[in-house]
Amino acid sequence: MNPLDYAVLLGTMLGIAAFGTWRTRRHRDLRRYLQGAGNTRWLTIGLSVMATQASAITFLSTPGQGYEDGLGFVQNYFGAPLALVFIAVVFLPIYRRLNVYTAYEYLGKRFDAKTRLFGAALFLLQRGLGAGITIYAPAIVLSTVMGWRLDVTIIASGLVVLVYTVVGGSDAVNLTQKYQIGVIFAGMLTAFLVLLGRLPHGMSLPDALTVAGTFHKLEAVDFSLNVQRRYTFWSGTLGGLFLALSYFGTDQSQVQRYLSGASLRESRLGLMFNAVCKIPMQFCILLLGALLFVFYQFETPPVVFNQAAWTAQAAGPAGAHLRELEAGFKAAHAEERMDLDRWLAARHAGDAPAAAAARAGALAAEQYADGIRADAQAALAKASGRTSTSDADYVFITFILDHLPHGVIGLLVAVFFAAALSSKSAELNALGSTTTVDFYRHVIRRDASDDHYVAASRWFTMLWGAVAIGFALSAHLAENLIQAVNILGSVFYGVVLGLFLVAFFCKRVGGTAVFWAALAAQLLVFGLYFSLSISYLWYNFIGCAACVVFSLILQAVLGNRGSAISDRGLASSDL
Amino acid sequence: MNAPPAPPSPRPPAAAGAEADSATGLPWPRTWRGVYLLALGSFALWVALLTLLTKAFP
Repeated sequence: MNPLDYAVLLGTMLGIAAFGTWRTRRHRDLRRYLQGAGNTRWLTIGLSVMATQASAITFLSTPGQGYEDGLGFVQNYFGAPLALVFIAVVFLPIYRRLNVYTAYEYLGKRFDAKTRLFGAALFLLQRGLGAGITIYAPAIVLSTVMGWRLDVTIIASGLVVLVYTVVGGSDAVNLTQKYQIGVIFAGMLTAFLVLLGRLPHGMSLPDALTVAGTFHKLEAVDFSLNVQRRYTFWSGTLGGLFLALSYFGTDQSQVQRYLSGASLRESRLGLMFNAVCKIPMQFCILLLGALLFVFYQFETPPVVFNQAAWTAQAAGPAGAHLRELEAGFKAAHAEERMDLDRWLAARHAGDAPAAAAARAGALAAEQYADGIRADAQAALAKASGRTSTSDADYVFITFILDHLPHGVIGLLVAVFFAAALSSKSAELNALGSTTTVDFYRHVIRRDASDDHYVAASRWFTMLWGAVAIGFALSAHLAENLIQAVNILGSVFYGVVLGLFLVAFFCKRVGGTAVFWAALAAQLLVFGLYFSLSISYLWYNFIGCAACVVFSLILQAVLGNRGSAISDRGLASSDL
Repeated sequence: MNAPPAPPSPRPPAAAGAEADSATGLPWPRTWRGVYLLALGSFALWVALLTLLTKAFP
């Protein structure tokens, strides 16, 4: 990165953060601090909901996932439009009519205090841990790009987001997210256009898609019923539906965003904006990854994209073996490149037999090169003593640094930062709000002034910021960052959704039955998670179904007793 | 034995359904039903296009 890149990066990120802090610095009213000014329009809400979900992980890891595994991950989002419509019809009008600060307040009104606290505690646990992962991802990018220490990068990025979130609350989050998502769209579009321009001379987009398809990178939809496959149409639609219902409908970081709308209409349209845009947005990011794969078939890629780790180990005792693998990879890639050139030339000339022969040669060479790459990654992991090296996370940033012009590099690094800060601020805002409203105001201090609760909310937001930074500093991440976040969500989300579905649709079930049912369902999900090897998306469905079924059974067993206890809880938990 | 009293539901889904029929204030679609159909139709269209992409470049 040169001074121009630094100017773009610091100018956009610090400028947006400073603007958000300055514009929202005088908030003293609790409702305004937690829900905003109440005049937010649907487009701002839609962009805010989108920015909250799309973290740096989305833009850092997803192109790498497209590079490695193709478009199949897009199926993970198939449930989102269905879930958003359901939430707009059922969840949203209830939240708005009750005028709640948090989704868990509704559980208190419908059931009892312990169920409200249980739902809020599950949110705090999983979102608190998830917030650590959210802050870790851009820190990897920056530590790789600039050679900064990882811990310094984590602390610095955490502090920037903490300042404007603590000062301005929900308004600051909405305001900054609008500009941050603008930076994200501008950066990703620029990267896409530059990538198209850097494809080999004479290669059309259909040619590029043909190459990507040949190497199985365009397999977007898989209707297989095999539950062991991670991404299929069915797991994405059914499991993804439950994941999206839980995330958008019951996760306070999202609920707080759309409850800040000026009216039910604005909130609804904001959700529908996401229902229409979510799948195409994820498709474009994955397609970028698939086209990166095509680009690197004609431009020699590094044998391992995490070049910092590779260079460090290549200078050590394992250096000779690593260099041998690198030389073998380059030779295999050169052979593949020649086969691909022959294939495209034969294809353009209409010589089908020659095209088929060259295509088969390219496939074989790619398989061989891929084998060497896997060996190189394993050798690197062994040499560095790390059990997991997710090379996919380094694909996009390597392309950015090696092939984009200065200025655009700064813009793309700003994209990762903007995405990280936008999702992080919403998470911290929600964590602070839930701790204040559902625990502090409800259990510890019930009759204080607005000023007191605003101050408490600021302190809790800072506390959660410190927890997230601490978790990020000690994170031992598995496999791939984006999957780790989704897996974490799936273990808890299903049961929380079950609580809300019982509240909405099982009117005879009381607080005691649903509380113990939710506990049992959560234990069941933990047990299954550690004993089965099914797609993690299914745990959303299992957790939710178990909570609903257990609630109905337990209520039938408890009969009058359960309902009577529930009624006492209802009376005491009204705000 | 009396039947257990049902815990009150602050807002039944039926009430939400009534609001869903009100106007959107948009030039098109004018009803919420139309907005939801648009969102679901867009989902179906994307699944169809992605399936076509999968089949077109095997």
